[in-house]
Formats: sequence, C-alpha cells, structure tokens
Amino acid sequence: MTDATELRCPSCRSPLEDGDRFCEQCGARLMGEEPSRSGCRVCGAPSEAIDVDGFCAVCGARERTADDRVELDLVSAAAVSDRGRVHRRNEDAFHLERLGGSGVAVVVCDGISSASAGDVAARTAASAAGRILVRALEARTQDGSAAVLEGVKAARDSVERVPWTTRIDRGMPSCTLVCALCRGGEITVGSVGDSRVYWIDSDGVRQLTVDDSWAEEQVADGALTVEQARADPRSHSITHWIGADAPERPPRITALHAGRRGWLLLCTDGLWNYLAGAGELGALIDALPAGASAAAVARALVDTAVLRGGRDNITTAVIEINPS
Amino acid sequence: MSSFTAEVYQNEYLPAGGSEVNAIVTVTSGAGGEPAKRPDAAEILIVDTSGSMEVPRGKIKAAREAIAVAIDCVRDGVAFGLIAGTDKAREVYPSGGAMAIADDHTRQEAKRVAEKLRAQGGTAMGSWLTLAGALFDTAPGRVCHAILLTDGENLHETPEQLDAVLAACEGRFQCDCRGVGADWQVSELKRIASALLGTVDIIPDPTGMAADFRSMMETAMGKATQNVSLRVWTPQDARTGLVRQVAPTIEDLTDRGTQVDERVTDYPTGTWGRESRDYHLCVHVPARSVGEEMLAARVSLVENNEVLSRGLIRAIWTDDEQLSTHISREVAHYTGQAELAQCIQEGLWARKAGDQATATFKLGRAVRLASESGNDGTLRLLQTVVDIDDPETGTVRLRREVADVDEMALDSRSTKTVRVGPAP
Repeated sequence: MTDATELRCPSCRSPLEDGDRFCEQCGARLMGEEPSRSGCRVCGAPSEAIDVDGFCAVCGARERTADDRVELDLVSAAAVSDRGRVHRRNEDAFHLERLGGSGVAVVVCDGISSASAGDVAARTAASAAGRILVRALEARTQDGSAAVLEGVKAARDSVERVPWTTRIDRGMPSCTLVCALCRGGEITVGSVGDSRVYWIDSDGVRQLTVDDSWAEEQVADGALTVEQARADPRSHSITHWIGADAPERPPRITALHAGRRGWLLLCTDGLWNYLAGAGELGALIDALPAGASAAAVARALVDTAVLRGGRDNITTAVIEINPS
Repeated sequence: MSSFTAEVYQNEYLPAGGSEVNAIVTVTSGAGGEPAKRPDAAEILIVDTSGSMEVPRGKIKAAREAIAVAIDCVRDGVAFGLIAGTDKAREVYPSGGAMAIADDHTRQEAKRVAEKLRAQGGTAMGSWLTLAGALFDTAPGRVCHAILLTDGENLHETPEQLDAVLAACEGRFQCDCRGVGADWQVSELKRIASALLGTVDIIPDPTGMAADFRSMMETAMGKATQNVSLRVWTPQDARTGLVRQVAPTIEDLTDRGTQVDERVTDYPTGTWGRESRDYHLCVHVPARSVGEEMLAARVSLVENNEVLSRGLIRAIWTDDEQLSTHISREVAHYTGQAELAQCIQEGLWARKAGDQATATFKLGRAVRLASESGNDGTLRLLQTVVDIDDPETGTVRLRREVADVDEMALDSRSTKTVRVGPAP
C-alpha cells in the first residue's frame, strides 16, 4: 500500500524530497513546480486553476506538461520528442550535441513498453551512447565505426544497471537505439531494434538502417515476401534491442559519405509507422517552404504523426549535412 | 491527526464517445491503535423494555445480562448512559438529563440499575432515539455511538414520525441496531441503521445477546474519528451517478450528499476505527476526443474540513478497444456484489408475495453470484431458504418450510459483501 502523502516522481516513481525540482533518479522535471502560465487549454480557466496534479480545477482537462513534448533546436540540428495522443508518458529519449563547425553526435532511443522502466532505459541509453560519441568527436582521431560500437556498448552497460521490479507481465528494462556520428560529410550510423535512420537529398530518400524485426528477417531469409511479412501479426516484433536479455549480437553499422547537401533523419517507429514509406517522407519535406530549418522539419514530421493518430511516442532528430 | 489512505482501482480508458467512468476507492484508516490517543467517546445503550420482552421469560433476563457485559466494556472516562424504551423513552441511568463518566463506581451503579429493568408497555423507537440525541448533546466533542435492541415492531409511532426523528439525528451519532427473536421488522431496523450509519443484525436466540453486545462494544470503543466525509470533486458539466459503500456492506450514499460548492459534494461515512472500506463511484463526464485525458473526480477523506487523504479518478479516451473494453476487476466484483444483495431482496419479497417463479429465479441468481464471488457467508444464509441443485448455474428449489429467523437473518445480512479475491 502506498502512503498517499509520500512524494514520488511522476515519471519513475522514485521517492522525492520535499522541494525537489527535478527527480534525483531519472532527472524528470517535476510537475507542479512551474504551473502552466497560459491557463487551461480546453476551457480557458486562468492558470491558478491548474492544480498540483496538472489537471484543470474547472473542467478536469489534463494540461500538457514539459514531459509531453521536448524540443531541442541547435540551428543546423534539431530534435523533437512528443508523448503522442495515446500513451500516458513519453518513453522515447534522444541525445543531440554539436561540436565545432560540422561535428554532430546524435542518439534516439525508444523504450520498450512491455518492459519495466522502458522510459528510464531509453534515457539512460541515449545519454550513455551520446557521451561516447561526443568524446569521439572531441578526440577527432577515433574511427567512426569504433566509436559507434563503443557507444552502443556503453548504452547496453548502463541499461543493465537500471533498477527494476520483477513483474510477471514485464520484461527487463530495454530500448531500441539509433545513433549517428557526423563529421562534415562523413557519417557513421549504428542501429539496434526498429528505430530508423534516413538520408534525404536531391536524389530522394534512402533508408540507411535495416529493422531488427521479425518481418525484415523473414524477408531477408527469403521465407516471405515483403507483403506477406507485413501482413503477419508478428511483423513488428523486434529481434534485437538494448537490454540485459538482448541477443549477443553487434549493432548494424553503416557508413555514408555524403557528397552533397542533405538531411540526416533519425526517428522512432512512432513516426515512420505513420508514413506510407520513404517516398512520403521526402514529399513531406519537399512540401515545406524552401530554406526550412532542421527544427521546422522535425516539428512538421512529428506533428504529422500526432495528427494521424499519435498512437505511440514520436521522436525524431534532423541534422542538416553540408559537406562543402 | 488521523491516518487515512485512499487507493483508486479503475480502468481509466474510455472508448471514443464514452462518458461513464467507474472506480472503486479503497479507504483505510490506521487510527485507533493507541488508546491514549483516542478521543473521548460517548456510548448509550437503548434497550426495548416493552411488554413482549417478558415473552418468553428469558428474554429480558438475557438483555439485562447483555447490558452488564456491555457496561463492562465501557472504558474509563467514556460518557455513557442507559435508556429503557417503551412507548416512551426513559433515562434509567444516570438519570437527570446528563451522561455518567465511566469508572468502577459508575459501572457498578449502572449494572445495579440494569438488573432491575422490567418489561411493560409499547414500542416507540423514535422517542428513544430523540432522547439519545438529547443526551449526546450534553457531551459535545465526543465520538457518539448507540446500540438499539428491540424485539418487536414500532407500533406506537407512524413511519413518518420515525423518519422525522432520523432526519434530526443524522450525523449526530451512529447507531447499531439488533433485533432479538423473529417478531421485529427487518426493514424498520434497516432504515434506522442506514440513516445512522450503523449495522443491523438478528440475534435469533436471546442467549446470543451478551456475546453480540460485547463485540459491538469492542468495535465502538475502537472508533477514533467521527464525521469523516467522502468528498467528491467533479469537473464542470460532470454528474455523479453513484456513490456507494460496497465493503464491508452495501450502503448507497448517492442521495445523501451535502453540496459544499458548485463542484464539490460531501458524503457521510460516520465513525472510523482501524478498518478498511471500499466505495464504488460512477461519474458521467462530457466525452472528449481520443487521446485527451481528464480528471473525472477527485475523492478525498475529510474531517472537519481537513483533507486526510485523496485519490484521483481519471478518464483517458482511446480508440484501442483492448484498453477500453476491459472492465476493472474491482468494479466488476462489486457490481456483482450489489446485484447479489438486490437479488436477495427481490427474491425474498417475491417469496412473501407468493410469486414462486420470480423468487426461484432471483434467489437462484443470488446463489450463483455468491458462489462465483466466494461470498460463503451469504451462500450459507441462502441455503436456509433454498435447496441448491447447482450453484454454478444457480439452479435452486424454494424450501417449503423456512424458519422466520433464517429468512430474517438472510434479509438483515444480505448487504454483507466480500472483498475482491486474489487475481486468477
């Protein structure tokens, strides 16, 4: 039985000290510290009407909180993560850093919701891998593939240390991971699970990753056609992930030498599930005004997925690559 | 400061267009453990001394013994009194319009007075309760509890008179009611117990009185907080469809709320010892679009306007049918227990009216519900009224010969529920 008076983090349920602004355990910003300034988005009640639980005291509507959408705009690189319209919390996470003129380290993770603490796993994995990639950018000399391998290993080590509670219906903490290390036009991409990386330039859209999913494996083995595999209820189950119970298998690594300007796009399945294939991704970006920023591209794509249903958390990172 | 916790069990997911939110709120009070911290209590024993209590002869004697046992249970420092009830109420102890404070001396005195009780006269329960209320008023700030014992019908008052008295007494004290023998009216005592947030039960044989009084007194002496309200906040344009205590017994509170402001209503829950109760709430909210989440109700336990504990009842609209079609185990269980109580009432009523087909169907359904939910106490009581051929399908035969006390026991105890069992 939980003592109703005991303070707990809304995100990871860790106990809190009175007056904490952020959770010591997971770093989540705590609701109620900074009440919504604009009042209720549904009935227009003044901001005083928003209670400590984040509900409007007049109409009961749940207010959007910082946890619902996170945006990071680094001008030539940006990331947006949205809770979506169905899930209660955001179990996606990203890590994005720019270094010098053209160095970018980026990681996007999707916490597996059938696992315990999937959200903590995703955050932990993204920051662990992100730190390694940033260090590789600083060192300049390290080979991209080696850095990505080391980053994925760091992610895995850190996720194995995430504390969790055994439950019959929940697995060990786990997540997917895609990452990229960009030095000018030299890009190294790593992936584990079914989050994806795309390259978009004037030639069109190219998916740089292969999903670690049941469908992809059936197609790769020649057992099923793409259509047959997609129609199967198992098509989305993933065959590789970051977690203590994951198969002993290295990440898939792809290197790309970009000869011209383009977008590198990382995303979770909450985005690509709403796109009718890679072609539509290009069409959506083409429809944006000329000279749209990385942040504008990321926002437009995430908004599209939210509008189309937002059944899952949606996260994308967009990096403008300009080799010249 | 009393310690209360509130836990909410619900399926918060609604289908698109859905507007009915159901939840079970479990309230647990940890108070009453340490006698030193208990507030002062006040206790009044109301004993029917109408002429019928002499028939059979053992009845008034057993009542006198039961009163002595109850008086011995009264803690030092508790205000107490004894009322003898006939067609009027008589304050037999301490007399003089006030209450006695319990110690060895006053307890002995009260027991000597009780030994002299004689049975003679009629029955007017409203007058007994009115006197009890007046005596409790002389001991303000105490947790007030009464026990009412009768063996007959309320012959010397109209139902309207009794209702007026109950309305005047509500919220001032709690009253447990007991009927001895088979000549009293279950519905009458139920009405009193329900209004005064107490229990009702049958004591089939006068010899069982002393044990029953002891157990009632021990519970009463453990009560530490009174006038705790279940406070329900609902959003604009929402409607509270149901507020019902569902464990340990079923008690509908829906129409007993007091509006605090536009969106807040308080429902009475009476006195609390160290115990746990479950409440079923149903709130109708305006439907919102898929993906929206709202607070459908905030439930708090309130004592003197101080919030002791609270729980949130939410609504989240989804187009995922797997989420929205699932009914919370707790809600399903107590919906079944409420139907069980209803079936017993309707079955007994049909049986009295001579409608055997309806009685067989309703009591059969009750057997099935009691058996499915593991409510063995109620199942045993049902067995005194019907022969059970198959509890799983609810196939039963009405018994030709049923003892009045058995039927009354089933009627009195039909609202007793069991809590939801462990997950399958």
